Formats: sequence, C-alpha cells, structure tokens
Amino acid sequence: MKNWIHVFSVIDFISAGILLTAVAMNALRRLESCVKAYSLNSWLLSLLVAMTALVVGETHLYIASLVTFLSKGVIIPVFLRRIVKQMKVTHEVEPYISNAMSLTISGILVAIVYGSLKQGIFVTGFSRNVLQISIAVIFIGLFIMITRKKAITQVIGLLFMENGLFLAGFSLTYGMPTLIELGVLFDMLMGVIILGIFAIQIKRVFASADLDKLTTLKG
Amino acid sequence: MDPESYLYIIGTVFFLSGAIVSLSPVPRTKTFIYLLSFLGALCFLTFSLHLLFSPPQDLFSIPVSSFFEFAFRGDPLSGFFILVISLLASAVSIYSIGYAKDLKHQGLMGFLFNLFILSMFAVVLSGNVFTFLVSWETMSMVSYFLVTFDRDETSAKAGLIYAVMTHMGTAFIIVLFLILYKETGSMNFAEMKTHSAQIPDLLKHVIFVFSMIGFGTKAGIVPLHTWLPRAHPTAPSNISALMSGVMIKTGIYGFIRVVLDITGTGPEWWGIAVITIGAVSSVLGILYALMEHDIKRLLAYSSVENIGIILLGIGASMTFRSHGLFALSAIALTASLCHTLNHALFKGLLFLGSGSVMHAVHTRNMEEMGGLIKSMPYTGLFFLIGSVSICALPPFNGFVSEWMTYQSLLLGFESPSIVSKIVSPLGGAALALTGALAAACFVKAFGISFLGMPRSRHAGEARESSPFMTTAMGILAILCLLFGIFPGLVIRLASPVSFPLTGSTGLVSGLGFLRIDGSSTAISPAAILITMAVMLSATLVFFLALRRKRKTVYADSWDCGIPALTPRMQYTATAFSKPIRLIFKNIYLPRRDLKVSYLVKPFFVRSIRYSGEITPFFERYIYEPATGFIQRVAGKVRLLQSGSLHLYLGYILITLILLLLFGT
Repeated sequence: MKNWIHVFSVIDFISAGILLTAVAMNALRRLESCVKAYSLNSWLLSLLVAMTALVVGETHLYIASLVTFLSKGVIIPVFLRRIVKQMKVTHEVEPYISNAMSLTISGILVAIVYGSLKQGIFVTGFSRNVLQISIAVIFIGLFIMITRKKAITQVIGLLFMENGLFLAGFSLTYGMPTLIELGVLFDMLMGVIILGIFAIQIKRVFASADLDKLTTLKG
Repeated sequence: MDPESYLYIIGTVFFLSGAIVSLSPVPRTKTFIYLLSFLGALCFLTFSLHLLFSPPQDLFSIPVSSFFEFAFRGDPLSGFFILVISLLASAVSIYSIGYAKDLKHQGLMGFLFNLFILSMFAVVLSGNVFTFLVSWETMSMVSYFLVTFDRDETSAKAGLIYAVMTHMGTAFIIVLFLILYKETGSMNFAEMKTHSAQIPDLLKHVIFVFSMIGFGTKAGIVPLHTWLPRAHPTAPSNISALMSGVMIKTGIYGFIRVVLDITGTGPEWWGIAVITIGAVSSVLGILYALMEHDIKRLLAYSSVENIGIILLGIGASMTFRSHGLFALSAIALTASLCHTLNHALFKGLLFLGSGSVMHAVHTRNMEEMGGLIKSMPYTGLFFLIGSVSICALPPFNGFVSEWMTYQSLLLGFESPSIVSKIVSPLGGAALALTGALAAACFVKAFGISFLGMPRSRHAGEARESSPFMTTAMGILAILCLLFGIFPGLVIRLASPVSFPLTGSTGLVSGLGFLRIDGSSTAISPAAILITMAVMLSATLVFFLALRRKRKTVYADSWDCGIPALTPRMQYTATAFSKPIRLIFKNIYLPRRDLKVSYLVKPFFVRSIRYSGEITPFFERYIYEPATGFIQRVAGKVRLLQSGSLHLYLGYILITLILLLLFGT
C-alpha cells in the first residue's frame, strides 16, 4: 500500500527540498524571505517525519511530526516575523560576502560533506541521502551565522542548525523518544524568544542590530 | 608517640587561632594575634630541638584521595630549618606587636602573617611530593599577598614579577618531582631516597639542574635573583625580615633535600657548578648592594650575597663528597647550615632595624636619613650589631660561619681532582672579596643612615620606636653575639643534620672553640673576644693616661669658614660608593649624564643637572629581551581573540570540517 513512497523516492525528494531551502538562504536578501525559507524548511521536515511514520507505522513519529510542524513551522516563524517587524530601519540581510560567493562556499560545504560521508552509517536504510543532507544543513546554518551581520540572522542560522540536527538524529535512530523531542523543542522556543529579545535590546542599546558593534565589549 | 611530638600540634593550633582571631572585627585583639604566633613559634622551637636529636619519624598523614595524601615527616634536616624559622619568627612576632599598629589593614596582616609562618613550617615538614607542592604554593601565594600589601603601583609590579618568577621555579620543581616519581615509583620522600639508586645518570643530571633552577629561584641565586630586590622592599618590614631571613632558605632546604638527601652523591661537576653559582651570586649580590641607596633594596641584594655564601659551602660539601672526603664534606655542609641560621638572625635583625628607621623617617632612601643614632639609640646599636655580624667581624656570629666556609673551600687543595683543586680556592677568593665588599657596604648602610647630621626634616624629628620593636631587635642582637662567642652551640645543632648526609662530623668543637678534625686549623671566638677586650681596654687606659695632663677644649667642627655646617656638606651614599663604582666599572657599566646650562658660556653657569646610574645588567640583557619576545608572540596569538562573534563561529565551522575530513 505504501509502495508509492519507495517507488517515487518521496523521502529523497523531501530531503533534497530541505537542503535546497537551506542553500537558498544564502541567496536571500530580505529578512522576511529568510523567515519564509525557514518555515518551508520546517514544513518539509515535518512532512519527512510524517512520511517515515507512514512507512514505519509508529505512533510517536506522528506526534513528532505534528509537534515539529506546530512549533517550528508556525510558532517560531510568527515570532520571528514580529521581531523583524520591530526592527524598523532596514530589512536587508547585510552579509559580509557577496551572495554568489556565499552560494559557492555552501556548495563546497555540501560537497565536502558528501565526499567525507560516503561510507556513512545508515541505520534506517530508507534513504541514502538523509544523513549527508542533515550534516550539510548544519554546516550551512553555521555558515550563515558566520557571514551575516544581524543578530536575527544568527538566530535563523541557529534554527537551521537545529533542524539539521533533528534530521541527523532522526535518520540514524528513527527519531528520539517523544519526551526528548518535546524537551528539545521547548528549548528551541525559549532560545528563540530570548535571542529575539536580545536582538531587540542590542538594537536599542547600540542603535544597530549588527554584531560587529559587540567587539567593543571584549576585555 | 613521645609527648614532644604533640608540640607541633599545639603550635599549629596557636598559628591557626592567630589567623582566625585576626579576622575577627574586634579591634582589641590586635596585640593578641602576635602573642599567639609568638607562642606558636616557641612550640615549634622546642619541637625542632626534639627533631634534631631523634631519628626520622612520620608525624601524621591525612588521605585526600586514593593517590594523594597529606603526609608530614620530621627528621634532623627539617628540624634544623624549623629551628631557623621559629627563632626568627618568634622575634618578628614580638616586633610586629609594635610595628603592625600603624598598618592599614591590621586584621589582614595578622591573618597572612600567621599563615605565612605556618606554611613555611609545612614546607620543611612535608613528607611527600603532594604535601610539599601544596605547602610550597601556599607559602608563595601568601607571600605574594604580603608583597602587594601596600596596594600601590610599585608593589603590584613587584608582586607580579615575584609571582611570575616563583611560578616559573615551581614549574621546574614539579617536573623534577615527576621525574623522581617515574624513576623511583614513589611520591614519598623517604621511599624516593631508598630507591634513588635506580635513577639513570642522565636523569640525575636533569634533576640536579632543575632543582638548581627551581629552588634557586626561590633562594635568589644570580641570575634568578631579580625578584628579590623588588619584592622584599615593598613588603612591610616585619615580612621582609621573614622573607629575606627564612623564606628564601626554604629554597636551600629544598635543594639539600632533593640533591643531597634524595638523589645522593653526584659527580664532581655538580659541586663545581654550585661553587661557581655561589661565588657569582655572592660577589655580584654585594656589588649591587653597594650601589643601592634604598636601605631595604640594599639588604635584599645582600641576601643574594649570603645565599651565595651558603651555596659555596654546599658546593664544597658536594665536591668533597664526590671524591669520598666525607669529613671535609661534613665541615662544609655544617658551615653552610651555620651560615643559614646566622644569616636568618642578622638579616632579620637588619630588616627589623630598617623597619624601625622607616617608621621614624618615612622613607627608604638613605640619602634622606642621617644622625639617627642620637634620636634612636637602641635601634642604632642593634643595627650596628647586625651590620658587624653580616660583615663577618668577630666576635659576632657571621664571622664563625664565614670562617668555616672559607676554611672548607681552602681545604679543596686536598681533593684528588685538579678541577676542584683550582675551583674551590677560587671560590674562597671570591668569598674573601665578598667579605671586604660587605664591610664597605655596611659601613655605608650604617654610617650614612645613623651617623652625621640629619639630611631631612623627618630624619631630624625621628623618635625611638616602641619597646616591643627594640626588644625584638635586642633578642636577635644578643643571639648574634651568643652564637658568635659560642660557635659550639650552633655546630651542635647543625651536626645532627650533616652527619646522616655525609656520614661524618669532621669538626671538633667545644663551647667556645672549634677545630677542624685532622688539621691544625682551629679558632676560638671566645678567646678573640677576650683578646679584643683586653686590647681595647689597654688602649683606653693608655690614652686616658696620656690625656690626663692636658685640658680638653670643646669646639665646633671646622667648617672651612662657611658660617654653619649643613647636612649637604656630608659625605653622601653615592659619593661613598664612588671608588667601588670606578674599580668595578666593567661590571656596573655606569652611565652618567651631565647637563649644564649657561648664562654666559663658559663662565657663568645657570644650572647643572647630574644624573648617574648603573646598568642593571641582568634585567637589560636577559629579562627585557625575554619578556619582549614573549609579548611579541602573545600579541600575535592575541589576534585569534578578536572579540568578533563571527570569527569565533568560523573557528567552530573550520574545526567541524576538519573533524569531518580527518576524524575517521
């Protein structure tokens, strides 16, 4: 009955989508688009979990999928959008390097991951690509944190990393116990709220949301 | 367990309660603190006599974990150093009753004072590596806080230099103990000693060199002495007395413990190296002391000199031991131990005296003192006794120990090796030079500070310090005289230490004389004293008889026709040391700067500015390049720490990628 999932390589398609949304982050110029890319990424993530749940037929995976969708796909993006709105002056991303360069480096990162994880471990065995993609998403998230000036983009980069981690854990173990997933999600939510508040406070105190200004704090 | 063994527990309780009482907010207790430390020191003094004349014994141990334990052990060697520390500590405690009254943070001073003395006892009583290092570091840290006690810029800098140097030394000590542990398989000093034969020769050399550097830093050998003239003057004077009198001796203790006791007999070059370092330290120490006008810096440099003299004795002992001349080895070791005790007494006395002087004159600069013997007669007298002792003049104690060191170096002729036949008499020559320069140095220190006319307003208004302070100095002065006239006392205290280390005694001593075994060399300070007294009174009687016929007329000193004598006409400290600066100009590398501005050249001078200084050789040519290099490297490393969040995240990314590529 669930053969179509295997026949059409649905899981590979969805994980490719996850990678693409992450890579797309490098090319986006406006903060709103970044938030949108993140929501899309989260939706795809929850869809992936749902598909796996269909294949395996485990109840806790359905719960995980639903909770992921609600928290990462709805609540966090809404919250992020509100923060972006509060930062009135500019909605530009302001990267340190050009978008072309940024895309190139992301490509190199993905290539490195694929190159070095050729003999990766595939406990689940339902896809040959999910682990590589998850690690690549972690790297891209970190790369975004490095190359973007604004505090809010740091938060989005971190969220991408978390999605990547979730995916990595999921691809290796069919998902962690529900309780741990819930705990991690709650942590994320709190983290985003605190970071959002910080971003706004940084903006208020330094009249800028650039983290460059924070170098004056070092001893 | 003997009843005497409980003495150290009682003593420790006294010190600890002294430390706790000082932290109490009640101001009345301030005298009480030092009374407690005095009693504690007396307990340890008695305990040290017990240790000296009984076999080595384990005192007690507290296990900390399966591997480490606090273990304390006493033997004659630690007993002797406890004797040295407790003798000085008891006198300094009395002194501090009067001295600490005018300090700013009295409670803190009392706390650190008690802890400092207790930590020194712990160092010499440690029975294993762990205990030793903990006590050693406690002592270093407490003394660091005492050096920076004034909380101003100079003391902060001195404290920094002290902390850096002492930790560098500790690093070497830790490494040498680790080598010992690896080779002997034990952390315990006693077991290390029994297994020391297993150590390969090469590692023995490493241990010797490392203990020379590590313990030498604490003792203040040249060229590791640079912290002494900075740290000792900035500490309050009662602490300077303890630091210079006994704390640097813990370095000597560590050296004797590791090299002579644990490692045992070494090759000849060890002794030669120690003699060389001792000779260089003593000559350079006293030469730099001569150029100082800061009375406490002068005393600190003189400590470098005396450590050199102690090392000359130890080095001679090691050389003799390597040739199997155990009797001579014992004489040399006894000499250096005696000098350790004597130096503690007279250097303590001199630092206490300088504290009294500073208390009255509010400066350390000798050029602003003068005439103090009239306003401070007791301090003057005791300072004079200390100066005479340190110059090694009979009948005081410095004479006896330097004479013994001198004799043992000259007896180096008897050794079979040509190298030590040459080096040890050369060390004796260096000691002779040192003695003469020390005399010049302390004629200057005493003469400029205490004689003549007051050179400043404060010096004119000086008052004698409190009876506690003069009593403490008096006790030390009497001990100096006592140990000088009856050297047998000290030798009997030192021979239980040198006997197990060298297997011989080598000295025959009565109460008032001593004779070197198997040679015709002998001396009797008591007889010298009697001779001196007889000659002095004969001269006095002669002059009185001569003068009886004449009438004595009292008048002012001749002032060259200028209306009144002023202090500016006096010999200054700089002028006094000028001849020596000229003779040794290749060592001092003096720089002089003369700036004359004229009204009408060349006859009418508006002003003359003269400034002169000697080149601080070791600072300029060793330490400054070294610190410069470290700072340059550190500046490069600092670029990593840019403060940019993005850069730090970048480090993480690069690390992750590298792990991914090469981790598997």
